[in-house]
Amino acid sequence: MTAVPPLDPNEPPPPQRGLTREERGRDVSEAQAEAEAETSKVKQYLGAMSPKFVLSQADGYPVVIKQFLQFCLILIYPAWVFGVLVGAAIHLLFYVTIYPVLWLLFWPVRAWQKKNNPEEYEATRQKYAKKK
Amino acid sequence: MRLFKSSGGAQVSVTPEVVRPRQTVTATVIAAKAIDKVSAATVEWGYTNFYRYRWAGRADSAAVQMNDSWWMIGEVGTDAGSEKDTEDWVGVTKVELPVAGGEFSGGSSSFTVPSWAPGSSEVIARWSARLTIERGGRDVDARGDFAVVIGSDNIQVTDEPQQRTGGDGETDVDIVLPSLTYRAGETIYGSIVLTPHADMSDGEIVIYWGHRLISHPLVRTPAIGGGGKSGPTIKLGKGIPLRSGTPVTVPFAVPLPEDAPPTAEAVHSSLVWFLQATLHYSKWTQGIEQVRRRIAVVNAQ
Repeated sequence: MTAVPPLDPNEPPPPQRGLTREERGRDVSEAQAEAEAETSKVKQYLGAMSPKFVLSQADGYPVVIKQFLQFCLILIYPAWVFGVLVGAAIHLLFYVTIYPVLWLLFWPVRAWQKKNNPEEYEATRQKYAKKK
Repeated sequence: MRLFKSSGGAQVSVTPEVVRPRQTVTATVIAAKAIDKVSAATVEWGYTNFYRYRWAGRADSAAVQMNDSWWMIGEVGTDAGSEKDTEDWVGVTKVELPVAGGEFSGGSSSFTVPSWAPGSSEVIARWSARLTIERGGRDVDARGDFAVVIGSDNIQVTDEPQQRTGGDGETDVDIVLPSLTYRAGETIYGSIVLTPHADMSDGEIVIYWGHRLISHPLVRTPAIGGGGKSGPTIKLGKGIPLRSGTPVTVPFAVPLPEDAPPTAEAVHSSLVWFLQATLHYSKWTQGIEQVRRRIAVVNAQ
């Protein structure tokens, strides 16, 4: 909004400002970023179960609080693994039961889109092909 | 007893107490009595920058996202209180004061406030001259504060497009302003032009001023929620007919508070000002339209 008027030659240059949350991007630990960067879903779930990932959930906390949280995370580790496995099972269940039904149900919609908007259809296909 | 002999301390006074950017202030350091065993005495000019940051872990970690899952509905959010207010010193110039034979008895330093200086307010910045005397024994620290006020010629304002913050855009709401810069205590006279694209139910329109602190610290994780304040909601009109193709102009007068903090951009945070107008359709299923227009606020003539 405000542009600074031209500098005086004998004044110090303005100090560099920092970045806002939006400018910084996602704020996650290194272990989590690695797991999220995996392209295969199976590897993503395995990554979320790794002790490194679980311990990194306490990253960014001040010292002492971080170690206490890591201690708590170790205590709940079996429950964490169980939770991730249940999540993966629900994910799989969705793709073998509900997804094929939806796929069949929306066949006419896709066929119509392919016929009438071929460019848009291809663009959407490309977009989801890249995500996998 | 030598151990409890106080060094007497020093006082820093800054004149004038209120300045504009590009003007010069002078700090006078007076020691109650000569301070001994001094190795260095410095005056640092700069400001204390207020901002908010996130202290509690990574903001987008899987553990935080779990709070938002459906099976946590009805539970107390565990992410509350993860952000807090803080301040950091931003130094601009450091000046060494003369020390004769390890003794310091006083001195002075002048400083020209830079053109990019953020205006003083309790929201964003407090300008001061900080004295640090390093000595064999307890160091002496003292501070003299002064206020930087911003005039309309100290900031260059670029017009930012108006932002739609709510609604479907079935009626265009345009906040029309004769100028973008206003002084604290001044009344903003302008008008709102309503251009319906379809026949809508009658409208009711309100407006208010607001300012928001945006944190962007250099090192720490910035907070999303920030300090902010908004003025009283001013009702401008009720039962305004909104028919397709007939624009309506509604004038408004929004008084700014006398103690309004000036628009500023500092190292760790920025203060932005805006006018927000909301149009409520009388038929509730049609909802609202809401727009926000950036303005700049100064606090000197």
